[in-house]
Amino acid sequence: MSPDILEVIDDGEPDLRLTEIALRDVVELVRIDLPDHEAEPLLERGFMPGCSLCPIRKSRSGDPIVMVDGTLIALRREMAGCLCVKQVGSQG
Amino acid sequence: MLPTAAPAPPPSGSRTAGNPPLIALVGPPNAGKTTLFNRLTGLRQKVANYPGVTVERKTGALRLPSGAQLEVVDLPGVNGFSARTMDERVTRDVLEGRAEGIRHPDAVILVVDATRLEPHLMLVEPVMETGVPMILVLNMWDELEARGGSVDTHVLGEELGIDVVPANARTGEGLDALDDFLEGVYERGPMPERPCPAVQNHPGGVPLPMADAFARRRRRVRGWTRGAAYVPAGPSAFSRRLDSVFLHPIAGPAVFLTVVVMVFEAMFAWAVPLMDGVEWGIATSGEWVAATLPDTWFRALLIDGVWAGVGSVLVFLPQILILFAFLGVLEDSGYLARAAVIADRMMYRVGLQGRAFLPLLSAYACAVPAILSARTIEDERDRLATIFVAPFMTCSARLPVYALLIAAFIPERPLLGPFLGTRAATLLGLYALGALAAIGTAFLLKRTLLRGQPSTFMMELPPYRVPSLRSLGLRLYDRTKVFLKRAGRIILVVAIVLWALAQVPRVDGAAPVIEDSVLGTVGQLIEPAIEPLGFDWRIGIGLVSSLAAREVIVGTLGTIYGVENADEGSLELQDALKRHLDLGSAVGLLVFFVFALQCMSTVAVARRETGGWKWPALQFGYMLTLAYVGAWVANALL
Repeated sequence: MSPDILEVIDDGEPDLRLTEIALRDVVELVRIDLPDHEAEPLLERGFMPGCSLCPIRKSRSGDPIVMVDGTLIALRREMAGCLCVKQVGSQG
Repeated sequence: MLPTAAPAPPPSGSRTAGNPPLIALVGPPNAGKTTLFNRLTGLRQKVANYPGVTVERKTGALRLPSGAQLEVVDLPGVNGFSARTMDERVTRDVLEGRAEGIRHPDAVILVVDATRLEPHLMLVEPVMETGVPMILVLNMWDELEARGGSVDTHVLGEELGIDVVPANARTGEGLDALDDFLEGVYERGPMPERPCPAVQNHPGGVPLPMADAFARRRRRVRGWTRGAAYVPAGPSAFSRRLDSVFLHPIAGPAVFLTVVVMVFEAMFAWAVPLMDGVEWGIATSGEWVAATLPDTWFRALLIDGVWAGVGSVLVFLPQILILFAFLGVLEDSGYLARAAVIADRMMYRVGLQGRAFLPLLSAYACAVPAILSARTIEDERDRLATIFVAPFMTCSARLPVYALLIAAFIPERPLLGPFLGTRAATLLGLYALGALAAIGTAFLLKRTLLRGQPSTFMMELPPYRVPSLRSLGLRLYDRTKVFLKRAGRIILVVAIVLWALAQVPRVDGAAPVIEDSVLGTVGQLIEPAIEPLGFDWRIGIGLVSSLAAREVIVGTLGTIYGVENADEGSLELQDALKRHLDLGSAVGLLVFFVFALQCMSTVAVARRETGGWKWPALQFGYMLTLAYVGAWVANALL
């Protein structure tokens, strides 16, 4: 097994999605599972790999409002489900 | 005083063909770009459309303390240069010097929100790469300081190699610091034509995956802000408290509904005295003109054509102004973004999205501004669907027609005690029918012509702010001009044409009876087509004339039935209608007006906004078919 692949596995929980994160938990964005043209508006608004995200509120239908870069952005739950994140702090 | 003490005359060497240098205002949405534009130019603004596309182009004159004059253009707000939306394409094309009808800017003022410095600084590099001289304005500086943030603007300026100005566009604080830069632009004069690199998110050079390109740019931004000892603003406690109510899972939707009801109430209750006032003004001035001029064909044209036609548009101005005042306050305060988020899930189910909420709400006043405001919808299919269904919302031009027919044909009886009578219920039913048609049509469109991947929806929620009266006033002034120009011109032409068609062929040098006029002939020609609906040639003429604008039918029917000064409250006109229509055909006529796209202004705006005749033609045909079938069904059932 190449070290690259090991690294990915070591990252742990690569499939944790933003939709699964509890309100007020700060997580780090790992990757956006969307084609470039759909990811671009997210990137423009500061959703880029490595940034911290924090879901602040959820609507009754589960659409989150996320704090990124000091700005509040409302997303649909479908899009939030395309954001792969990892917990920060909890796993060192 | 010595002549030398006078302000220095503008330098002449660098001047070309009288055009002052052009300054472009660039920045993300909600960063205060337009507030700055209003500050710099005041009432010296004009609004036009970019040729080909219909993103509004706002330009204005700026006078420097030295007396030198510059031209400023307020470009649409952008988050980046991926050119997904029309707004982004226009901003990019202007910066690249490729936009039709506007010169290549000689300088750029990049306006960013100091409280959201890091994401907004992502725009610095792409703009800088164009080579156009630029200055960076950190707007809302007072808010950054109030929330405990800071940044060393001198260091930031040194790192970027440009001047950085902390400012507060709302109060004008700090804007003096722009003068030196602008004087410099003026001294240099317009830049010679030059090639310009493409403005894009993807920096030139090595192609990288999109995410990496952004991440690299972001690292550079972080390098600058670290160097300049940037301390970000703390969270706004005020905004958080308001959001805990406005975005609350239960209170949020309740507030949302209250706001919508309030906007309606304002449009339909508060506007009435103002509209009566405007009507009175038009009638009085018309009488005055009629009394002053000799009785010739020209007077008839002026009074029956121009005054009646333009008056029918002017009367809606108070309603539209009230709507825009409300929308302005809602937008500038930051609430509208929340409303769109609350509405999104509901609209998504029918095939639209949260950003369509504002256009569809505006459409209850008038479809023209509604279609124009659909520009903010990034997804092209969602935008087309919104434009397509907007004319189904009950615009205020339908109201006089509804009022006339309901008063004539629906007897007033209580339905729900003192709360709801048959007439009010009919009116509500007509509103509901329009809304249902809009929902059904959007649903249908997104499963047929506009089928595709579900659109993405993302909404930035800016901090709440107290709206500035100055900006609000300028916005209303601006909207009034645009509305009068767009709608007024069409109505004026149609009113004159209709009047002329009713005047020929002349009988003994006078106008013929309406039945024998060209207009009457047209009505008789279409009579066989509308007979199944229970309409005769008189209604036919009314329908033809109402193609220009729905409310025209009231005046036309007045002319046909020979009722002087007919309006929707005229008892004489109601009686005449009762003689020629039965209940079935009257309800049919109401249903026809719910569905049909009888509004040339809407068709014209839809053509411009969709870039061709295909969509408005489809829209017109579809709505007419629905109207015809609906009226036939109503006539057959009742």
